Amino acid sequence: MRAEELKGHLDTLLLAALEDGPRHGYAVMDALRQSTAGRLDLPTGTIYPALHRLEAAGLIAGSWLVVAGRRRRVYQLTAAGEGALSGKRADWRDFAAMMSAALEGAPCPDPA
Amino acid sequence: MPGPRLIDDYLAALSADLPGRIVEELADGLDETYHRHLGQSHDPDAAARAAVAEFGEPRVIVAAFTAASRGRKTARRLLAAGPVVGLCWAGVLVSARAWTWPVPVLARALFAVALITVIGLLAAAVLGRHYRLVCRAAAAACVGTALLDTTMACTVLVIAPALLWPVALAVVLSAGRSGFALRNVHHALTG
Repeated sequence: MRAEELKGHLDTLLLAALEDGPRHGYAVMDALRQSTAGRLDLPTGTIYPALHRLEAAGLIAGSWLVVAGRRRRVYQLTAAGEGALSGKRADWRDFAAMMSAALEGAPCPDPA
Repeated sequence: MPGPRLIDDYLAALSADLPGRIVEELADGLDETYHRHLGQSHDPDAAARAAVAEFGEPRVIVAAFTAASRGRKTARRLLAAGPVVGLCWAGVLVSARAWTWPVPVLARALFAVALITVIGLLAAAVLGRHYRLVCRAAAAACVGTALLDTTMACTVLVIAPALLWPVALAVVLSAGRSGFALRNVHHALTG
């Protein structure tokens, strides 16, 4: 999947990649690659500005650690980020169910 | 970070536009990427080429950081608030027949130039492509906005204090905008 197709979903993917615990930028990209079986085709460098944007929005918190004598910026979900991820996940389930119903004739669940 | 020349050139291209703390973070990720490829190919040059290709073009990364910068966000909000606050003050000035006030022509001209300059700085912060330019323009516009608001409020309160409600509304809006601008000077400057 290419970057253009991910517009609007990248933030959710990044939040999900941080759900298991703190990660630095490269580890976030690596987690996304593994969880999507390598189908995510995104320039690694563009992950970092997205992380900074999420940090400015208060959804993740960044801090510097020293690893093997070198400084490394690590991010983790904030309480607001956990709430946002939960909401986005629910929205995605609704959207996916609606699209499956429209495109494949799958049963569409009643809205709660 | 020691490494092939290609990696150094890539980081130098990023350093030309982005602040050191961001480049340091990117360098860490690029180093990880390089070593992953080196572990697969055992060819430093090929690993560097693969790492740089995987990371993406520097101009794309700089553009993404610029778009996500707090300076741009602050400038957008100030630009959005501009017409509202401006219309309030325009209403006050027209009601008070401000063209009859004993304000020197030079002072009026200086205010107009300062206003145009701040609008230009905000436009540069919203439309600019260079990270440092956007941050500096936004920070300067924040200070300029606060100075313009203060000057206008003080002038009107001294010359036409009788216009109670219109002036009160404009002063409250200006104070809110100035407070927002001053709170965000540092954030805008640091991205």
